[in-house]
Amino acid sequence: MSTTRARALALLLTALAPLGLQGCLRGCSSSEPPVLINYSMFNQPKYKAQAASKFFYDGKTMRPPVPGTIARGHLHEDLVQVTGMDPDGKPVAHAPLATDDALLARGAERYGIYCQPCHDERGEGKGILSERAKVPTANLMDPRIRAMPDGQIFDTITNGKGLMASYRYPVVAHDRWAIIAYVRSMQKKTAEMEAAK
Amino acid sequence: VTEYWRSLGELEGAPEFEAARHREFPEGAADTPDGISRRTMLGLMGATLSLSGLTACRRPVEKIVPYVQAPEDMLPGIPLRYATTMPFRGNALGLLVVSNDGRPTKVEGNELHPTTQGASNVWAQNAIYDLYDPDRSRVVLQGGAEKTWKDFVTAWTPIYDAHVADGGTGLAIVCEPSISPTEVRLLDLLKRRFPEARMVTWAPLGDESRQAGLRAATGAEVEPMHHLDQARVIFALDADFLQHDPGAIRLTRDYAAGRRDPHAMNRLYVAESTLTTTGIAADHRLALPSGRIAALTLALATELGKLGLAVSGVAGGVGDIDAKWVAAVAKDLKANAGKSVILAGAQQPPEVHAAVAALNAALGNVGKTVLYADARGSRRSRVADLAALAADLKSGNVKTLVVLGGNPAYDAPADLDFATVAAKATNRIRLGLRVDETSGVADWHLPAAHFLESWGDARAIGGPLSVVQPLIEPLFAGHSTIELLALLESGKETPGYDLVRDTWKLVLGSDFERRWERTLHDGVLAGSEPQALTPPADPSAIAKLAAGKAAAGGLELVFQPSSVVYDGSYANSAWLQELPEPVSKLTWDNAALMSKTDADGLGLRDGDLATLAVGGRTLTAAVLVLPGQAVGSVAIALGYGRSGGRVADGVGFNAYVLRTTNTLGIASGLTVSKTAGTHVLAVTHEHWSAEGRDLVREEDVGAHGDTHGHEAEGEPEGHAALVSPWTERTYEHGPQWAMTIDLNSCTGCNACVIACQSENNIPSVGKDQVTRGREMHWIRIDRYFSGRPEAPESIVFQPVPCMHCENAPCEQVCPVAATVHGESGLNEMVYNRCIGTRYCSNNCPYKVRRFNFYNFTKDTPETLQMAYNPDVTVRARGVMEKCTYCVQRLARAERDAKLGNRAMQDGDAKTACQQSCPAQAIEFGDMLDPKSRVAAAKLSPRRYDLLGELNTKPRTSYLSRLRNPNPELSA
Repeated sequence: MSTTRARALALLLTALAPLGLQGCLRGCSSSEPPVLINYSMFNQPKYKAQAASKFFYDGKTMRPPVPGTIARGHLHEDLVQVTGMDPDGKPVAHAPLATDDALLARGAERYGIYCQPCHDERGEGKGILSERAKVPTANLMDPRIRAMPDGQIFDTITNGKGLMASYRYPVVAHDRWAIIAYVRSMQKKTAEMEAAK
Repeated sequence: VTEYWRSLGELEGAPEFEAARHREFPEGAADTPDGISRRTMLGLMGATLSLSGLTACRRPVEKIVPYVQAPEDMLPGIPLRYATTMPFRGNALGLLVVSNDGRPTKVEGNELHPTTQGASNVWAQNAIYDLYDPDRSRVVLQGGAEKTWKDFVTAWTPIYDAHVADGGTGLAIVCEPSISPTEVRLLDLLKRRFPEARMVTWAPLGDESRQAGLRAATGAEVEPMHHLDQARVIFALDADFLQHDPGAIRLTRDYAAGRRDPHAMNRLYVAESTLTTTGIAADHRLALPSGRIAALTLALATELGKLGLAVSGVAGGVGDIDAKWVAAVAKDLKANAGKSVILAGAQQPPEVHAAVAALNAALGNVGKTVLYADARGSRRSRVADLAALAADLKSGNVKTLVVLGGNPAYDAPADLDFATVAAKATNRIRLGLRVDETSGVADWHLPAAHFLESWGDARAIGGPLSVVQPLIEPLFAGHSTIELLALLESGKETPGYDLVRDTWKLVLGSDFERRWERTLHDGVLAGSEPQALTPPADPSAIAKLAAGKAAAGGLELVFQPSSVVYDGSYANSAWLQELPEPVSKLTWDNAALMSKTDADGLGLRDGDLATLAVGGRTLTAAVLVLPGQAVGSVAIALGYGRSGGRVADGVGFNAYVLRTTNTLGIASGLTVSKTAGTHVLAVTHEHWSAEGRDLVREEDVGAHGDTHGHEAEGEPEGHAALVSPWTERTYEHGPQWAMTIDLNSCTGCNACVIACQSENNIPSVGKDQVTRGREMHWIRIDRYFSGRPEAPESIVFQPVPCMHCENAPCEQVCPVAATVHGESGLNEMVYNRCIGTRYCSNNCPYKVRRFNFYNFTKDTPETLQMAYNPDVTVRARGVMEKCTYCVQRLARAERDAKLGNRAMQDGDAKTACQQSCPAQAIEFGDMLDPKSRVAAAKLSPRRYDLLGELNTKPRTSYLSRLRNPNPELSA
């Protein structure tokens, strides 16, 4: 082997060495997560939302608030607004909020996110769950629900009923009233259509 | 033009300083600690890189762990704020604590609470570090062995039964001062259960002397409340009311409010031994040993008597005190009778406090600038009680010693020898946040719950009641003081929540739930302030002052609270240890502060070790020469030389070993002798030096209250204003963020520095790195002197964050566009573009850029990771960083406004420094909004830009310092 060829081989090996060292970077399939050449700040030593913790017994970085504490702006002095019940524990007939366009718009938006998948866009209970899994879903246009006090619907959204889960956490109290206002407006339209028939 | 200097080295033109100045960065700033050169380092880094290739860093697998049962009103990643109260040296600081996903991450002041009014101080900010300190004790210990809380409850039962039987004979309980109604209630119950028990309240920096003085003068148990916003003339006698007073936040705010209007500005006179932030703020400062303050007070009373004030029985000359100065102050006080105030420092003897009370009464200030609060309900530190306990312990009369918080084995007067005598008790129980000196002599150590983890309550001095609301369940299963008190009293466990509510049922009466919830929400019970008192003061109190002459040739030693670690209870905080002490700019240490005259006489220089001997006790400590220190007086900060945590261990010198029952404030008869050896002091005052450029400006308020504009001064020397060679970018659409810093309000208290550190995840780097000029604070507070070192004519603080220049010199030299300009005028850092050339830092004329020389955050302990702000990147090695104007807050404010479908309002976005400032010296907002406060401040005739002649167009502007000198003294 001439010196030139040996040199050329050595050079080639040197050039290829980093690739061998760092493994397959692209184009190979692997069950492992991708290789990072520059690791910096990809994983920062800080607690983030919805992340895992090695410290807490339940493995969560997110901690529940201490029972009994009240955050700024979360004082509910009007209990009707957050429970839908009057002081005697009976559901209130009418929502404690005045219905306006903004409330209806908010209600329509929230309804579309949280209610429509089951109760469908017309509120007739023919959503995807009923369609595919034959889960009995309440028809919100039913006269029974039309006659229901606002407070009782609020209670159902807050605490769930039957197979329906509680929507207390994702839908804040104000939005629940907005959804009720929107459902009422749909019911009104349905009633008008029925009357027109 | 006034010549300013930052350190004695600069003033004298010391060769080390000259060399440092021309290097731009301190020597060694580019070296590794063990002296490996940059070239070797590059070689090493190359090797590490190829090695890391072998180990293959794969992207970490992160799991999403949501709440199983999500709490109502809480969205992941959206912070909530909770009102709570920080018990602070017998006072109560109303706070609003930011909680990110149920973890407290940032402390802010509660704008509804009168003690803070939305601002805070370094200790309140440090509460986050204190909570997540990895050195907090995690388990119950008995004789060093791990036990459980249940084991302790079991062990306590027979002790309890025995003490119930003997009425508490041989039971002693040591508490910290507090005005917690629940603690008071439980202690009363305890006293009833154990009538023979000894109750002691102890804190090393109590206010006992002032209380004794006020008792002598007024015959009542009262605490003073000063309303400085009502005062035209303020005279502080060795009183650092802007930093060390428990109510300093409120006092600073009121003081600054009284200086806002140049046509009606207050005038501050200060006589003090060591230089303090209050002395720096003064319009006239007299350096005088603390032991001579009594003589000064007597001289002042004599002068006031000559002016016709009703001060009877005063006879005494001014002695060796500057007669002209005293006469001028007296005249000014008299002319502003009813609108003046005299304050005396906590270390002064009771006679001075009594005389001050009498003088305030004679000047008609009581009821106007000075009010008194009834102090009968509060437990306050009494050294006599501690001494009696120590005597009991020594004679073996104490069977059970319970220490609730505090650290008497470390901070009790040295003559009591508390650590030794405490070991004589059979049962020694101690509740503490860390395993410290007192835990060392305890049989049982119980981990305490932090105030952010526990229910409690407090009353501010002369202020309203509030509840301590927990932000998180105890991290280490700690128990609060009230929970332990309840166990001690009843032998049964009661949750803190129930204890507090039981007390508050008595306070609130009817409609309890509604009023309780309102109090939790607001963080203050409206209308619960006690009636302010105006007891008459006995004028003969002044005559009791002894006008002793200064002891010939003798030095005095003044024990000072540390402006960073306070009495030592905050010593294990890396944030605070690395915070430059406001006056000396010393980090990671304390030192014996001496005047240049005294140091020269003893042949001492900065960093020399010297033996301080007083009353037969000695301490070897490092010396630091402080401009403005009174000749004949040596000051040393308490709270150092601790053992009780990885950060605190071995930092500084323990001055408590020199402090005795009779010399809690001032010890006379000090001798100082030079000892072999030196000590490295990490002082930051020469870092980022100014090259003699015109950076601070101050002016006198004219005779008619006008300020003469600085424009008249013309171009700064040696430099004509530069013009831009290219077309400059214009900023026409809001918001265009800008800041102003009012040097006339700034007291240099450091609250902004720690607030910034907490908000922006700034690492602490350690003493060695600080000596190399690598401290990472994004906002630094520069300090400029002018005049002679013994009596500086004026001293100015100047906080310096990033200027956010419109023509930023840093941006033009970055080869990878890691620092770029944003649409809102921010000079932005893109961390993961940065390759660490440090060109930007070289080109920054303000030296506000900080470089991560090491991966300072790599080994962040698990608990401190919880303290980090999730909205801010934790930077790694090799990355440049600097002030961002809290861009994450601006983004959130803009987002919230958009979500709420409204326009941004002035005040929607506040930077952390602005929010924490008790003096409201920082304004921030949209400079295009003509109604914004920052736009108004920018129009002030006092406004100037740092190095504006360089055409950098800084967004951060300054308002010049105003002095309000007394014409009689300034001539």
